[in-house]
Amino acid sequence: MTSPLDRRNHLLGAMLIAPTILIFCAVIVYPLVSALYLSLFRIATPTLTGAWVGFSNYTELLGSGIFWRGLRANLVWTAGTLVLQIVFGVLAALMLHQNMLFRSLARALILFPYFISTVVAVLVWRWLFNDLYGILNHLLLLAGLIDMPVDWLGSMPNAMISLVLVGAWKYFPFVVIAVLARLQTIPETLYEAASIDGAGPLARFWDVTLPQLRSVLVIVILLRAIWDFKEFDLIFLLTGGGPIDSTQTLPLLVYQEAFSMQDMGRASAVAVLMMAVMLVFMTAYFRSYGRQEES
Amino acid sequence: MSRRGPLGFALYSLFAWSIVALVAFPLLWMVVTSLKPQNELFRRPPTILPQIVTFEHYVKLILETPFPIYFRNSVILAIGTSFAVIVVATLGAHSLARFAYPGRRFLAQLVLFTYLLPSVVLIIPLYMLMVWLGIANTLFSLMLAYTSFALPFALWLLRSFMASIPDDLEHAALVDGASRMEAFFDVILPQALPGIISTSLFTFILAWNEYLYALVLLNRDAWRPLTTGVINMLTSAFNIEWSLLMAASVMMSVPLIVVFAFLQKHLTQGFGAGGVKG
Repeated sequence: MTSPLDRRNHLLGAMLIAPTILIFCAVIVYPLVSALYLSLFRIATPTLTGAWVGFSNYTELLGSGIFWRGLRANLVWTAGTLVLQIVFGVLAALMLHQNMLFRSLARALILFPYFISTVVAVLVWRWLFNDLYGILNHLLLLAGLIDMPVDWLGSMPNAMISLVLVGAWKYFPFVVIAVLARLQTIPETLYEAASIDGAGPLARFWDVTLPQLRSVLVIVILLRAIWDFKEFDLIFLLTGGGPIDSTQTLPLLVYQEAFSMQDMGRASAVAVLMMAVMLVFMTAYFRSYGRQEES
Repeated sequence: MSRRGPLGFALYSLFAWSIVALVAFPLLWMVVTSLKPQNELFRRPPTILPQIVTFEHYVKLILETPFPIYFRNSVILAIGTSFAVIVVATLGAHSLARFAYPGRRFLAQLVLFTYLLPSVVLIIPLYMLMVWLGIANTLFSLMLAYTSFALPFALWLLRSFMASIPDDLEHAALVDGASRMEAFFDVILPQALPGIISTSLFTFILAWNEYLYALVLLNRDAWRPLTTGVINMLTSAFNIEWSLLMAASVMMSVPLIVVFAFLQKHLTQGFGAGGVKG
């Protein structure tokens, strides 16, 4: 791959990457190592002073319900919103792949939720969800689907369902982008061959489209799983972890421990445990990505 | 795929557009709400299109709230972050794409890894670091923190842009007697320019939309960016003025729409980064 020319100048190459490495060390490597170290202390947030407590942050967390409830909420949220994102994303990509009126405008509009700030998305949805004047309750009442305004965010399981729905709305365009890009590279001849063999539209989807999408779907599912798992903004702003702590996922728990319970040590321990869970997904992602790079 | 007649085309377009309308409805509703007078919001049944179109909320937002200050802070923050990140990432991506040295492969993987890293893990040590350095509560500290996600993203994207520039171009320049750095400035940089511009726009969006770091690292109202500033307007309000908040939402989305128009061509590569082979 590399020419002899490249090798001769490796010093220049190292100099060019040096600023990157420097910044990486300052804002990524140092904080990462530091988080591991801090998790062994009890640190008061206001004064940032603390005492060594060994592994007691971990044993306390693993022994109490709060961490496991957080993990459970986190997994429910991730699984729920991920499934909807993938299903709607693939369907929307298939839909936008077909010829239609003003197709590029339609594609741009579908991408928009992914593009806007989470703050904007949350404000808009909180207004839609508003129990007295929200349009959602009004339309559902009008359609006769409900007889009482629904409390979308203040009770369970509604709060989790609302989160999952808004998460799906905000992030499914990512799936659309990736799948649409892949769809455009599937050779037309494959479909023609399948049609000659007498395959209907459904059979063509199962036998031609889906196998072709397999590799991109694996990557997209892993990537979205990682990103959904670590989501903070959307959940924090929409429910704040409530009602009580029923939607308090691990990223919110980190924030809660650090800035409400005022203990940065315990917060770091939660963060480290969360990373440990995520490493499973990350390893899987690295494997798949490496395989794709090779092929 | 299967050929459709004009009727089929029209029917399909109608169907597809109703789905698109459903997805776009929340954002449409945001614009509609921002144009209604406050008392029209509480009408039963709600009016779908505003009966009276008013821009009073936009005027109020600009004249009577700290919104313009938040907006200015966001502009400084997003432009500052993208500029700093692009300079560092362009050099770094060039190095990753065209030089060979020990650890290069490991570095490329590290970039990918950090791209997946949750901010909440980094935020506590970063917060303590900023306090210790005495730069907490400044836009500069926020810019520094933003590089933790913007730099890996920009590197990853630029690397794919750079890798697609044919080696022959650089070789020709080197044969003509240019040094590696001359070749970089005269040959690589002009070729990579579209990629550099779109990467900086994507970085701008990331910084513009960021919330968590701004929440933790900044608590002086005068320095808040739009994300935390507008949320502050929501939580500190005595009674929530939804049309004002919707107007704020529209205004903070306008720069993104402008950027979006420029990015059309590179949307797949930028938004799909990590998921789509660049």
